[in-house]
Parts: sequence; structure tokens; C-alpha cells
Amino acid sequence: MKDIRDQTCYEILEISPTATSKEIQKAYEHAKETFHADSVAVYSLFSEEEVKGIEEAVEEAYRVLMDETLRRDYNQSHLQMPPMAEGQPTETSSEAQGIPEKPPPSFSGLLFNAGERPYRGKTLKQIREGMGIELQTISKEMKINTKTLEWIEEEAFEKLPALVYLKGFLKSYAQSLGLDPSKVIEEYLRFKEESKKK
Amino acid sequence: MECAVTAIQRSTESGNNFSHGHGLRFYKMERDQSIHRKMIWTIGGGKGGSGKSFITANMGVCLSKLGVRVVLIDADLGGANLHTFLGISPPALSLSDFIKKRVPHLRDVLIPTAVPNLQLLTGAQDLLNALDAKSVQKRKLVRSIQSLDSDTILVDLGGGNSLSVLDFFLMSDGGILVVTPEPTSIENTYRFLKSAFYRRLKQSVCSSSVKALIDDALDRKNEVGIRNPHDLIRAVRQMDEGDAQRVVEEVKTFRPNLILNQVRSKKDIEIGFSIRSACLKYFGIHLHYLGYVVYDQEVSHSIRRKRPLVLENSGSRAAQCVMEIASKLANSHSMVNQD
Repeated sequence: MKDIRDQTCYEILEISPTATSKEIQKAYEHAKETFHADSVAVYSLFSEEEVKGIEEAVEEAYRVLMDETLRRDYNQSHLQMPPMAEGQPTETSSEAQGIPEKPPPSFSGLLFNAGERPYRGKTLKQIREGMGIELQTISKEMKINTKTLEWIEEEAFEKLPALVYLKGFLKSYAQSLGLDPSKVIEEYLRFKEESKKK
Repeated sequence: MECAVTAIQRSTESGNNFSHGHGLRFYKMERDQSIHRKMIWTIGGGKGGSGKSFITANMGVCLSKLGVRVVLIDADLGGANLHTFLGISPPALSLSDFIKKRVPHLRDVLIPTAVPNLQLLTGAQDLLNALDAKSVQKRKLVRSIQSLDSDTILVDLGGGNSLSVLDFFLMSDGGILVVTPEPTSIENTYRFLKSAFYRRLKQSVCSSSVKALIDDALDRKNEVGIRNPHDLIRAVRQMDEGDAQRVVEEVKTFRPNLILNQVRSKKDIEIGFSIRSACLKYFGIHLHYLGYVVYDQEVSHSIRRKRPLVLENSGSRAAQCVMEIASKLANSHSMVNQD
């Protein structure tokens, strides 16, 4: 049993050290859905300050684990894991290995867009690239024109198809990345509307 | 919204009986081969109206249809009416007849139901009073319950939070919390869980000063500055390393279960996972999300007709959800008996 400040990035997101980008993304979405001030699941257990601390820890864990280089460095310094080789998953965590725990990671000044991180084109692109998924793969899998996907990511709103089609494309895009489709559609369209007003 | 048990239902529709699902085959095979350890499940937490009695009664019916011999115990002090969910009149015999020695054996006060393999034991007040007392009678009663000729005992604890309710919850093989996706219900469930959690820790330690510290910790505004279980362990460690180890061990082995009732959307279902994550972060415990039951008008109709939903309308979505949860319990039972 560890205090949030003593937990590894993996423990914070409740995933194994061998988690794939898709699993990290999914865990992050779940953590964001769970730990916020208005969440029915947390308000009566944690103080506002504690929830804020967890939110920050979640953002930091996500930032580190979604960046291949940062994750490798983190694994080496915090878990003393060998560099991850494909096809050779390692099961152990620091606790299981009996490795003394390292001081908690610093949260100061490193936060990656902490707090709200709405799904706009740029965010979606960042998430996709972080997962190492090619646009062509989504295009092929979801049968969506690559150009349309590019316009979605580039926020080229004037080129995008009618709303009813756009919603369908956003849904497929979100599903292919393991994101919550309704949230992606809602936030993307909100951002689109706000941009129009400016 | 589709419940995963649809597959079982489909097999029912195609002519296969529900009672011939995988869970049953597995279970029956085990039952024939070995002497079984009894499983006692307690259903509590939340607040009145979250559906504990409905779920207890219907799970009992499902399990008995799976070939499990079930005894339901009605220990709901606030409103003992499990019999009504099963369509039987208020029973003439109760636990007090056994406690007051009007009958020689506990099995003599078991009420048969219309469902084969399913019996009912009522007398909540007597049961909890007896458990409150640190007496020979209490030990005798617990032993009698454990020695009842059944495979599974389901105890409906109601919404109470008294020490005897907590003790019963803790002494069972599996405590099940039934909660609805509303803030009030979740809040009450956390309150219950917190009380059970600290009581369990208190029972595990030796030092009286550590016991007193755990009592203090229950009050969030305590003067010793313990805001959560992490703080408590730190404080216990400063007082007594042995007790700190015991506390850590208790936290590791405390694994209550959760059923989310009356869910109306996918978002509601997700709340169960959020509760699980919140419990892991706060208590450090692994709460097992057993499943959810969808909101369904058929539940209310079956209660009005005083018929268990799983018999009255087994094709309804809520019934399918209950069946799925019951099959998980049956499987966990057979796994325990495999060990």
C-alpha cells in the first residue's frame, strides 16, 4: 500500500510496466474520468486538494509513459528494467523485485498541459503519433480517406464533410485509438464551433 | 445496452436450459468429486433501497437453479422482507425459536421455498443481537450457521452500519456491496466500507494504543492528523512495527466485491470501475467489480407480483444481469473447492 506520491507511473495509471500505448491511453482516459473534483466516485473519499494531486500525478504519468524516450529512461531509473525489447515482455515491478523505491517523481514545471486537455485536431494527432499509429493504418482499418483524416487533425474545418459524416469519422478515429468516441466528438465539435466564432 | 449473459439467454431460447450453462457443468462435476467448503456471502453497504434484498433473493434463485444448495438469511434490521421477494408469507419460524431452544437444531427453522435447493432463514434482530454479544451463544450460532447443510449462504445485511453488521460482513468469505450510481448511495457505501475496513484493521492489531489510534482515524477531523489509511499506516509504524506489518497484510487480503445496481447508461457502468480505482488509491484495496444490473421496470413489476424476477421474466435485461453475476459466484465457489 503506497501513498500516491510514492507510486510509480504505472501504479498511478493501474497498468503493468509492459502496457502498450493503447493500454496507457485507455488507462489515462479512465483515470481522467475518475479523478476530478465533480466525480461521484471520489468526492466523498478525497479532499479537493488530494484529487488535484492525483490529477497532476496522472498527467505526469501519462506524459512520461507516452513518450518513448522518457519511458525508457524512467524504466531504467525507477524500475531498473532492461530496455524493453519487442516480444519480450517483463512482468516485474519494483515492488515484486524488491528494489528499493526511488523518491517520488517531481511534478514541478514538467506538467504537460495539466488539467483540461480537450480533443481537438492537434491533440488527436499527438495521441496517435504517441501510439506510433500511422494515419494510413486508421484509413485502411476504418475505410476513411487519408485526406479527410489529415483535415481532421489539421483542423481544416472548411474542408471537412457535413456534420453527420464528420461525426461518423470522428467516432471511427476515436475507436481506432481506443478513445471514448462520444467525448472525442463532443469536444472536437465544441472546439470547431469556438474556432468559428473567433 | 446488452448484458454479457445474453449468450446464456440465447442458449435458453434455443432450447438449452439456463441450468445447463458452463457454470453448472463445471460446478456439478466438482460437486460430485469432492466434499465442498461452504461459501458465505454477505450483501450489505449502500443505503436502503439500493436493491440488496432484490439481488440477494434473485441470486439465491439463480444459484439454486445452477444446482447449488442455497440458504438465504434475512439479516436486514431495517426491513426484513426477503420472504416477500420469494413470494412466501411471513414465516412462523425464526431464528429466535432456535436461540430460545424451542427447536433443537438450526435446520429446524429453515423455511422451504418453491424453488428446489433454496431455503430461507429469518430473524434478523435475534441474529444480530446474538452476534453483538461476546458469548458462547454467539460462537454456537456462528458454528450452527456454518454447519448448515448447504453449499452457499447468502446473508442480506440491509443498510445497517452497526458493529454486528460489520462483523458479519467481515467474517464472511465474500462481502458484497450493492450500490446505485448516485452520489448518496456511493457516499453511504464508502462510509460502510471505511467502517468495515478500520474495524478489520483494529481486529488485526495487538497493541491497545494502536487500536485507539485506529478508532481516532475513523474521524476524518481527528486531532492526530490522520487523513487516510496511508497516514494511519505511517503512524502505526512509528508506534509498533509488528502491528504495522499486520495492518499492511490485512489491507492486502481485504477484497470486498461490488455490484452496481439500476444502471441506466454506459457512463453509469463506468462508475463501478471508477469506484474500484478510487478504493485502490484511497484504501489500497482491490475491490472486485462483480457486475452491474440495469435499471428495468420489470424489477418493480416482479416485486409487485411477489415473484423473483429471474423466474417471472428470465428474459428481462435485469434478470440476465443477475444471472451473470450469480454464475460468477457459482464459478468462484467451484474454484475455491478446486483448491
